[in-house]
Amino acid sequence: MSDESQLVCKVLVIDTSPEYFDQIKQFCDQNGLIGLRVLSPNIMAILSSNVDLGAILLAEDYYDSLDDVMVLAQQINIARPELPIVLRRTLPSHFDSQPEQLRKLFCATYTIDDMTPLRKVIDEYIFSIVYPNALVRGISEISISTLASQFQHLTISTETPYIVRDRIIFGELFSLIQLESSWCRGYMMLQTEEGAILDVLRTDDDLNVGDGSATFRTVNSILGEVTNVIWGAFKNRFIANDDLGIRSTSQVPIVINHQHKYISFGSENPQLCFKYTLSDERNSHFISIYQWFVFNLYWSPDDFKEIQTSVDDFIDLGELELF
Amino acid sequence: MGKILIVDDSSTVRDEVGGFLKKNGLDVITAVDGKDGLNKLKANPGITLVVSDVNMPNMDGLTMVEKIRSELGNNTVNVIMLTTESSPSMKERGKAAGVKGWIVKPFKGESVLATFKKLTA
Repeated sequence: MSDESQLVCKVLVIDTSPEYFDQIKQFCDQNGLIGLRVLSPNIMAILSSNVDLGAILLAEDYYDSLDDVMVLAQQINIARPELPIVLRRTLPSHFDSQPEQLRKLFCATYTIDDMTPLRKVIDEYIFSIVYPNALVRGISEISISTLASQFQHLTISTETPYIVRDRIIFGELFSLIQLESSWCRGYMMLQTEEGAILDVLRTDDDLNVGDGSATFRTVNSILGEVTNVIWGAFKNRFIANDDLGIRSTSQVPIVINHQHKYISFGSENPQLCFKYTLSDERNSHFISIYQWFVFNLYWSPDDFKEIQTSVDDFIDLGELELF
Repeated sequence: MGKILIVDDSSTVRDEVGGFLKKNGLDVITAVDGKDGLNKLKANPGITLVVSDVNMPNMDGLTMVEKIRSELGNNTVNVIMLTTESSPSMKERGKAAGVKGWIVKPFKGESVLATFKKLTA
């Protein structure tokens, strides 16, 4: 696996023990996790921010009283029920004496001397879905190429692709487009902030709206076109021309709650995410675009294939093919 | 020189393609979908080239081309598809409807300008 396609996942580490933190960090490094240590006392504010997370690692001795830790776990569960919470137990542990209702808040417990249960949680909850390297790398390539074509004077960069379980919406604006083949059924979603794109449009003459006339409709249209071009490139590269999908008509509702910046595709599956940053360093303008792949209706990585002819004999984008 | 009709539901594409062609001295009319494209073509006999997307609401681009030939009886206007689609079956359908050429998005104006000018001459 190349570095570019090595998937990672962010986990929130709510643990004050400095002597254990190095061990937890080492575990995270070895298992594709990025441990975000909570330093602020206001954990709930962090949880409601735009941090994409895969799990919470909470320590039994985070507070002096285990009851307070249980209250915190309940609050986390109410705020972000989709996130698995793993408890680091102390020795001696008083966790077993807690009512079953509270113990159920945790998907697993571990001790610093035996992290095996934590490893199991990672396999079961975070990296339970296999995303082939060729898919991860290919998505990144076609998306960067599309963004570079749409925003020709901006510098495009991308972070390491990652897995999330949470359902927090980033920004105010997102697009959704369906993907369907014999190996997948689901959606691609792009999320971004309207204001950041408007800032760029209003100062970029090359985007034809440098006169300051760009509005939210202009932004919608640009995001729609970027979505459309990435979708087309995805089909050209990963879905064979004769692949008509699995002909299933099953659907599940997508629930969007703007007040809570929340979206659910009705599936518990971890989702594949990419973050792209478009920089106009001249004017100090930056656009962040989050890209999610949610294969909530069907996922069969064993049947995944990259269309070799499309890669070897690359489609000449933008070139006219005369009949 | 004839006019070019750009048919795309994305205002970004209409602005980008139309802006580029206008900047290069071509006369451009735009339409937002296949249905609108048919109406604009009917109303503007001076159109000699249609550049159209495939996937659009109300009426898709290939259906529009088929109707240009069958309903309008216009077999002379040149049509080029500008789309993210690249499947051979779709191209075949386009070819059968008399589509002259196919461009896979994104649009690269410089590489097609000379041909567009030739088709509108």
